[in-house]
Amino acid sequence: MVAGIWLDVLDDIARTCQEHNRNDLLQAVRLKRAHLLDPTLTVLIVGEANQGKSQLVNAIVTAPVCPVGDNRTTVLPTVVRHAEAISATVVQTPVPAPGTLATVATTVERHPVPTEQVAAGVAGGVGRRPGGGPAYVEIGVPRRLLGAGVVLVDTPGSDDLPSANTGTPVTSLARADAVLLVTDSTRDLSATELTMLLHLTRAHANVIVVQTKTDLVPDWRAVADRNRRHLVDAGVPATLIPVSAALRLHAAATDDHALNAESGFPALIARIRHDLAGKSDLLAPASVAMIARTVIEQLAAPLRAELESQQSTEESAPLARLHAAQREVDELRRCSTRWQNTLTDEMADLLSDIEYDLRDRTRHILKMVDEAFETADPLVAWDTVQTWLTRSLVEAAEANRQWLTLRCEHVARRVAEAFTRYGHGVLPPWPLVTPPAHRAPPPEIERPTVERFTVGQKVFTGMKGSYGGLLMFGLALTLAGMPMINPISISAGALFGGKSIRDEGRQLLRRRQATVKAAVQRHVDDFFVRVSKESRDTARQVQRVLRDHFAALTDELQAGIVESLRTAKKAADTDAAARERRQHEIMRRMSRLAAVYEQAQQVAGTRPAPLAARP
Amino acid sequence: MTGSWLDTSVRGLLHQALDVYRDNPRATGHIHDHLARLDQPLRVAVVGRWRSGKSTLLNALLGEEVAPVDGNAFTWYEDGPQPDATAYSAHHPPQRLAVLRSGTGMRVDLAGWRTGELSDIVVRWPARSLRQVTLLDTPPVGVDEHARDPVLERVLREADAMLYLTRDARGADLRVLQRTREGAVGQAAAVHIILVLSRVDESGGGRVDALLGARQRARRALRDPHLDALCVTAVACSGLLGLAGRVLGEADFAGLAALAQVPRAELEPYLLSAERFARSEPPVPLDAATRSALLDRLGVVGVRLATTLARTGHRSRTALSAELVRHAGLSELRESINRLLVDRRTVLKARSALVGMETLLRGEPAPGAEELLATVEQILAGAHEFQESRLLAALRSSRLGFDAESTQEARRLVGGDGDSPAARLGIAPDAQLAQLWEAAADARWRWQERAVDPALPLAQRRGAQVVARSCEGMLAELAAHAR
Repeated sequence: MVAGIWLDVLDDIARTCQEHNRNDLLQAVRLKRAHLLDPTLTVLIVGEANQGKSQLVNAIVTAPVCPVGDNRTTVLPTVVRHAEAISATVVQTPVPAPGTLATVATTVERHPVPTEQVAAGVAGGVGRRPGGGPAYVEIGVPRRLLGAGVVLVDTPGSDDLPSANTGTPVTSLARADAVLLVTDSTRDLSATELTMLLHLTRAHANVIVVQTKTDLVPDWRAVADRNRRHLVDAGVPATLIPVSAALRLHAAATDDHALNAESGFPALIARIRHDLAGKSDLLAPASVAMIARTVIEQLAAPLRAELESQQSTEESAPLARLHAAQREVDELRRCSTRWQNTLTDEMADLLSDIEYDLRDRTRHILKMVDEAFETADPLVAWDTVQTWLTRSLVEAAEANRQWLTLRCEHVARRVAEAFTRYGHGVLPPWPLVTPPAHRAPPPEIERPTVERFTVGQKVFTGMKGSYGGLLMFGLALTLAGMPMINPISISAGALFGGKSIRDEGRQLLRRRQATVKAAVQRHVDDFFVRVSKESRDTARQVQRVLRDHFAALTDELQAGIVESLRTAKKAADTDAAARERRQHEIMRRMSRLAAVYEQAQQVAGTRPAPLAARP
Repeated sequence: MTGSWLDTSVRGLLHQALDVYRDNPRATGHIHDHLARLDQPLRVAVVGRWRSGKSTLLNALLGEEVAPVDGNAFTWYEDGPQPDATAYSAHHPPQRLAVLRSGTGMRVDLAGWRTGELSDIVVRWPARSLRQVTLLDTPPVGVDEHARDPVLERVLREADAMLYLTRDARGADLRVLQRTREGAVGQAAAVHIILVLSRVDESGGGRVDALLGARQRARRALRDPHLDALCVTAVACSGLLGLAGRVLGEADFAGLAALAQVPRAELEPYLLSAERFARSEPPVPLDAATRSALLDRLGVVGVRLATTLARTGHRSRTALSAELVRHAGLSELRESINRLLVDRRTVLKARSALVGMETLLRGEPAPGAEELLATVEQILAGAHEFQESRLLAALRSSRLGFDAESTQEARRLVGGDGDSPAARLGIAPDAQLAQLWEAAADARWRWQERAVDPALPLAQRRGAQVVARSCEGMLAELAAHAR
């Protein structure tokens, strides 16, 4: 018996679900198994409103069991099954408490409805407790077809799809063995209906399109042909059976076999009987194949997604950390070059600036001294000038040094900037510039030796000058008969003598001034050399301190980063291995799923459709 | 006060808009169109989804078979001295189309045009029913439920009112209709849509009383507040039977009369299905061509109905015709169109002008447009006419439950019998001002009392409020006159 084979396959699918820890799917598969073993044939009747669904049910059982009318007459789903006598019951399953499975609801409320109130019951008016969960009407009719095990389920008309898991369980697709989509002959299949059909055929193996109301339309055959073409165009593998409920009911009333044949119902009923007889042999394998397809697609979807995500996002966390650590190392290398360059550049700048500053200051002092001795007599002014000079030089040296200190700190900060991304506290210990421990006091400037204009020199010079004048004028006046020594010549001599003394004094002053200037110049030069040497030493020292400090810092950072790089690398290696293992696992599971699928397809006797689940 | 006030303010608005958009030739062209439209016949579009019976109903309204021309073009039916048709397309100049006359109508020859090429076809047709109304046949709406619907948008832009055809008045059909409520004007009272339950002869399992059931369905549909908000009234109508009634020829009648001769029980098997009727030979001499013509004209349900009617006393062609038209719900639909659309032409015209202005002002901002939008809203808020239109519709379908006398008075007061104060108050037109004043004040008091009477149902109190407000409007107008 074939039943054995598809049962095995179904059990195999159930096991696979278990392996994948998918209890929801397992539940569905178990339900399907129970359902397929059940010999009754459930026929679900769906379609848009006012297409004649209830009338179709009535015509199949040839009894007015479902109320028909213009407006929305069917509100509750109606289940028509065999019974010895006509009976009607509103069945309501209580709302399942959250957390429990809906399928294990044990208590079902049943309210018998008097047969004359069936219409109200189906319209949802009678026997239903408000808020009591999904309800349906069960109608029992004594009919041979139903007695053979056919159950008809009439649903409220809807533009939407009957969904597989929501709504009342009786109308769920999973419980149906055949689905009849009802459309009337007054128009072609609409786009909505075709979409609905596409969804139905994807979820169900046995879909039949029933074209009702053929009695109303003379050219229903043309409509049927067009509908068949629509089905083929849309790729819907469903057969189309045109029927007329009115003719069938009339035929039943008048017992007119010809009319019954004309109604098209024999074809439909034959199809239903054929399905009933072949449920286990034909329908079941097909529906096993279908459920295999859906279950395996659902199982494969997360696996595939995982695989894809692994393949696409190479950046797993450990790997990302490794890359970050590598970037960090590079960054540190760049940083160390950067700070070394900064330090050298800044220091060179600093030295030249400091030297220039000192030279500028001393030149200024020299200029002042020169100006002072342009007029002043060193003999008189020396002491004042000396005090001023000493003070000025000390001030200049102090100012220059202060600036040096500031500049050094600035350089330290500039270099530390390269380390900002590693946090604060990277400045070297303060103060950078230590004042020289034994700072020799600036040497005193010794008083330059200056020539004085002594009295004797003055007399001598005066005599020399007056001699010339006396002689010049005396001789000239002798010609006028005056004596050589006369008052005029004497006064001229005195005049000339005085001038000589003045001239000599001025000359001496100039010489003195020059001497002093030269002495000061020398002194200042000495001072400059000494102080600039000091500054240079200080700067070098600072540079050394900074270099040592930042080099130590870099080493420290590098040690940390390299350590983290090492750990990241290790983690990444482990991760890659784990990933590889997982990929293998997924591949293995996928191939297993594919095998189960193929098996199911073989049972169904169809050639396996290309499985989307395959990786 | 009604109509005239709204009309004046809308015209004022349009002139202001002309001023605002004086530098925008496209916008001014648009506004001029709207100004011109205010004086043209009312444009009523027949709208519906695919195969909802639009063309059949349109033919039934025209009373002639003006065959459906192009499923993708807007077809305008205007009054004209002689039949002619002009085709408009995006890429070609307007072109005259050949019109072929047939026994019961005409056919427009579309040879040489590809489908989808034509955007508009204007058909001029000498018909009394087109004097005041321009009918508009449209391509199906709601083809794609999720996208914007170009057809519906164009209808909302270009038609003043619409007959919305639906087979079951729910689901996808209503979702399409929901889209009509966009913008401030669209949110205001829906006075321009009549919901038509179409193809009702095919519902109800093909029983002869299907049409009565459909009428009940229409009435029930109006009780649904969702639906009530979308349309002014709902009417069940079978376009096929209506058209058959209006163009029923002697030959057809003879055939039906012959069928009616056959006893009912004997005839029934032949009328079970359309195919049976066409194929098998009935007990009376009736050739296949006539049978097929009858079937085409009436459908199998129609043949059943017509034979039943012919058997029960409608023995002449005219009597049968009239009865078919009445049965089909066509006369009710025409009456509804006349009372609720044509008579309220000014209100509907003003409404579509407001819709156009709102779209323009929102779509093309210009200095001053904001103020004009505020004016649009002001006019809407002051327009009591929309409420009156809706009350008139409610009174017509007697769904408020007023007694006959109150219904009549209410209808008169809200302008159902004429717009002048005298007509509204039911007084001779040459009455003195004082007399009018007294009557209006009296009516106002009575209806005001009703509006606050806690014993009355809510719907009646709301209705009474509208009537009282109309009376107040009249009083205000009379006071203005007196000054």
